[in-house]
Amino acid sequence: MLRFVLKRLLLAIPTLWAVLTTVFVLVRVVPGDPTIAILGDQASEAARAELREKLGLGKPILMQYVDFMGQILHGDLGRSLSTNRPITTDVLAVLPYTIELTLAALVVGTVLGVPLGVLAAMNRNGFADWFARIFSLAGVSFPAFVSGILLLIAFAVELRWFPVISIAKEGDFWGRLNALVLPSLNLGLLMVAYVTRVTRSGMLKALGEDYIRTARAKGLPYRTVVWRHAFRNVLVPIVTVVGLYLGVLIGNAVLTEIVFNRPGIGKLIVTALNQRDYSLLQGLMVVSAFAIVLANILTDLTYGLVDPRVKTS
Amino acid sequence: MKRHILAATTALALLAAGFGPAAAETVLTVGMAAADVGQLDPHRATTTQDKPVVSWMFNGLVRFKPGSASLEELEPDLAESWDKSADGLTWTFHLRKGVKFHGDWGEMTSEDVVYSLKRAADSKTSSFASDYAPVASIDAVDPYTVKIVLKQPIPALLGIVANYHGGNIVSKKAAEALGADFKIKPVGTGPFAIADYKSNESLTLVANKAYFRGAPKIDKILYRFIPADAARDLAFTSGELDVVYGRQDQRWVERFQKEKGIAVEVVQPSELALLFVNQSKKPFDDIRVRKAIAMAIDSKQIVGFKGAATAIPPVSVVPVGYLGTYNAKLYPHDVAKAKALLAEAGYPNGLELKVIQTSLPTMLNSMQIVQAQLKQAGIDMKMEVVDHQSWHAQIRKDLSEANYYSAARFPVADVYLKQFFHSRAIVGTPTAVTNFSHCSVADKEIDDAAISTDAAKQKELWATAQQKIVDDVCAVPLFEQLQVWARHDNVDYGYTFKAAIHLGPVITEATTKK
Repeated sequence: MLRFVLKRLLLAIPTLWAVLTTVFVLVRVVPGDPTIAILGDQASEAARAELREKLGLGKPILMQYVDFMGQILHGDLGRSLSTNRPITTDVLAVLPYTIELTLAALVVGTVLGVPLGVLAAMNRNGFADWFARIFSLAGVSFPAFVSGILLLIAFAVELRWFPVISIAKEGDFWGRLNALVLPSLNLGLLMVAYVTRVTRSGMLKALGEDYIRTARAKGLPYRTVVWRHAFRNVLVPIVTVVGLYLGVLIGNAVLTEIVFNRPGIGKLIVTALNQRDYSLLQGLMVVSAFAIVLANILTDLTYGLVDPRVKTS
Repeated sequence: MKRHILAATTALALLAAGFGPAAAETVLTVGMAAADVGQLDPHRATTTQDKPVVSWMFNGLVRFKPGSASLEELEPDLAESWDKSADGLTWTFHLRKGVKFHGDWGEMTSEDVVYSLKRAADSKTSSFASDYAPVASIDAVDPYTVKIVLKQPIPALLGIVANYHGGNIVSKKAAEALGADFKIKPVGTGPFAIADYKSNESLTLVANKAYFRGAPKIDKILYRFIPADAARDLAFTSGELDVVYGRQDQRWVERFQKEKGIAVEVVQPSELALLFVNQSKKPFDDIRVRKAIAMAIDSKQIVGFKGAATAIPPVSVVPVGYLGTYNAKLYPHDVAKAKALLAEAGYPNGLELKVIQTSLPTMLNSMQIVQAQLKQAGIDMKMEVVDHQSWHAQIRKDLSEANYYSAARFPVADVYLKQFFHSRAIVGTPTAVTNFSHCSVADKEIDDAAISTDAAKQKELWATAQQKIVDDVCAVPLFEQLQVWARHDNVDYGYTFKAAIHLGPVITEATTKK
């Protein structure tokens, strides 16, 4: 197991390097000029040129790359072009919000998606199956900003159960939890759809296997056969989809954070992009990349737990 | 028994008075269409989301009357009075005594005023340095007197010492001590002081109890950044926001005007939308082609589309209500004449016009109307649509044959004329600002007006400049867009909100929330 973990971690290094380099290149390909966001549209060209120089935007690209890599190795994300604050401070301020939202969405996705998928498979072509299929189709087709607004209209504006602006006062635990419900539901719904589909098809396949027939022939109750025998075989694809989904969730958090007006990495990315704050954008993408790589490692490690064969191979 | 009830009720009433409403603080929540604050340093703040906040925290020597954007209605602020020498070159300001800066930054004196204005005049610390170019010296005569000497008269000198842009007075000690942090921890003398800033989330301001006009009635302002239009509207509808930045959209205004308990205010200053025609590119160097473009465009139709509630017809190449705006003689809408002009210029079958356009929906849809109108005269306008920031960067590289730009500026004709139509401001040069059309036809009038001491003569020069620019089709005026704000009617600004030089309501010591 230890060797497996070490191998996985070592493999992450070239991946991260490739990601960092891509981030560096991508951010520099984005057209636009941060001086407009900083100085406004009334400043003269001379003032802009002076600022560009001060921000180090005039440096040769290779030097910028070396600086960037050096900084990352020191765990330093640099300073924001527009606010001049250390990026690490800004990122750490919003990171808990994104982690909390992503984890909550993961819970929503799994807790609703897995039973729904199993139920659908057990009642093939029955009501539960029909419901699960419609639901997952709707789930994958609704863009997060549309479902978000629908949720807000129904539960925040009409019923007033939850706030429209999903930020609670500091230290207000219940307020924070309350504010988390709608956004995590919104973000999680998309995942419910996928988890349901994967669970359903996996279960259908498993239920048609010989060993299930054997188990049934032994006289085991259907429920035991389903959960003890068939379900265990669906765990690997479920973990895969959940793990893959973590990446998608981080991406989708952007829309959810904007619609629900929650602070977070996604919202910060949009701000950084709008202001052409290259250094902040770069820092945020690095953090997201690390998060996704980490999620992938965790997924691989979970395989080992749910399927012992993975560990040995 | 009755007595007991009476006693109990009295006790309850006392309790309620003691712990109920008196303990609760009045928080005014304002929702802004932005993802974050940009710059709260008043000498740098130019964006729509930053300017209102600056107006809550700072004072100038004089101020725009709350609810007004007119230079003719300026009133004393940090200066109680002022004298002007006969030649108009020396101005002496007598400061109010005992004005305190926020926090422990002490009393405001002439030293702070001198520091602030010099800071505003320096391009390293200010985005408005060019406004102060004619200033020769700024000196403290004594702790409560400041003397400003000019090299040449400035149109509306009071304008550059008003509580707007460079005229805002900052604490010298604080600005020096905080350095780069000053832009998120600004220190002024205004009715509200910054208390907290949460990146991408909100700003909290608290009442400055020592404010020289009296302690504000609102205890706290929570200024929230809500970039998504729908989320902002929903938060306003649900009552989570007291005041909201409205959409510059006829349907939005009509919808909220119908809602009970909500007041929608459509205010000046407007942003004038102009189509700049780039004379440096062929065939737009030909006046006949430019005239054809001007005549093909029907501004009435654009105003009709934008909606009469938020848009007004343009009168000139300078927005209405500015000091010096002239009701220019604009080219009439005449498609037949436009076609004839094109034929005369050698384009009987029409021509192509390539523009770079922002994807910002409100600006894009205006341009789509222009596109359709030009098409009728045989001008095929090809739009390369890019995102807003790229557009800003690209149009400054002189890449577009025509350019749609919409802006509000300091309400003097001088500023608009200098930034958009003077040859010094031509894009692609080191002194460039926003002269996208390479216009130079009125340089002399603009320069002469700037140093004219005779107000009537000055207005005449500005008028001539505007007519020349219109005649030469440096830009085609399209429409003027007003600002839209809405509030729940339990909020009373304390004045009639008709205009906002700071692009948002000024929250003063008199503002209340019931």
